[in-house]
Amino acid sequence: MNPTTESAIEFDRQLEGLLNRCAAADSQALQRLYGLVSPILFAAITRILRRRALAEEALQDVFISIWEQAGQFTAARGRPMAWMMSIARYRAIDLLRRERLAPTLVAQPEEYRMIDADPDSEGSSAAWLPSAEAMKRCFALLSEQQAHCLELAYCNGSSHEDIARLIGSPLGTVKSWIRRALQSLRQCLES
Amino acid sequence: MTPDSRELIDRLASEYALGTLRGPARRRFERWRASTPFVDERCRFWEERLMHLAKDLKPVQPPAHVWPAIQRRLNLTNRQTALRRVRSFALAASVFLIIGVAALLYWRSPPAIRATAVATIVAKTGEHLWDLQVLGNVDRLVVRAANLPARPAGSDYELWALPAGAAPVSLGVLPAAGASSRTLTVMQKQALARSTQVAVSIEPLGGSPTGQPTGAVLYVAPLHTPS
Repeated sequence: MNPTTESAIEFDRQLEGLLNRCAAADSQALQRLYGLVSPILFAAITRILRRRALAEEALQDVFISIWEQAGQFTAARGRPMAWMMSIARYRAIDLLRRERLAPTLVAQPEEYRMIDADPDSEGSSAAWLPSAEAMKRCFALLSEQQAHCLELAYCNGSSHEDIARLIGSPLGTVKSWIRRALQSLRQCLES
Repeated sequence: MTPDSRELIDRLASEYALGTLRGPARRRFERWRASTPFVDERCRFWEERLMHLAKDLKPVQPPAHVWPAIQRRLNLTNRQTALRRVRSFALAASVFLIIGVAALLYWRSPPAIRATAVATIVAKTGEHLWDLQVLGNVDRLVVRAANLPARPAGSDYELWALPAGAAPVSLGVLPAAGASSRTLTVMQKQALARSTQVAVSIEPLGGSPTGQPTGAVLYVAPLHTPS
């Protein structure tokens, strides 16, 4: 087991413990959880929504959902960070649809302060990421266009149509790249 | 389940987790996920794997005013004060015990978390469906499910406060079985204080997407102070 895997397991346990305490209505646990994961979730939300007020509203909604649904999370249902990241991204995608924001290739609004990538600081290390080796190997099999389309969809919340407009490729081609990319990942991850 | 349908579910789950499944198809898939363990399992598989795409995401510190706003929306500041009061009382009670005045405590009623409003939701047939208790002094709503009617797949029952002269305010999705306890927001508390009735509507899984009842209002029950 490498150090990254160990720190990921330890981080997961810490998050699971805090979610259990949230389920028991311990508000200090929510505050601690907020301190640990809000910078990551806020980065994901901001990248999708790109509007300050909207991203802040979404982050509030996300932590209210986490507080109210903490009792539904169990470790058997997967990794806590994946659970929280999904709540955050899906909320942002819902708001994106509501606000009908125009797609953009801008990666990150500049008005927010980035946290320095200090590997020892809480929440800023990659301990929350899934086990890297298998994923790296499988993502490496994708073509450049496929990887770019997946990144635009996942990180920017872009739809098929948005991506086609952004990269100037036909919609059918974009759909096909994405479909084949996911198929390739599935085969690789399950092999 | 045939291999073809497994493959279809997996493909939809991957597009759902990626975010490219949009619009009504996304809503339908969410309802399917909530009612089908295999669909949920495939979604979790993809949610975990695709998180790798966020590898270059640099954490961004949210502005300082966001956490207090969350505390306000969840009423956590009041809760912490209430918890401190409960803890102080517990300490005082221990001292009393140590100095041998247990008898005095025996006579005192506990600093009760008490119901400030209650409602019983019954079907037209008289069947007992849910019991509601508003615990006003700790800002919580407790709901216990009794004999629930069969609900259409992919739907939830949602509870509403009906404040006088204002639009209904959601009190959340009702539990299908057992009991649920949730914190009331300031808005929900204010709405309950101005309501003499609560209502239940049928909504898409997870509750109304608009914040107002979208399905049929099935039950209305009086909200009253417990006797």
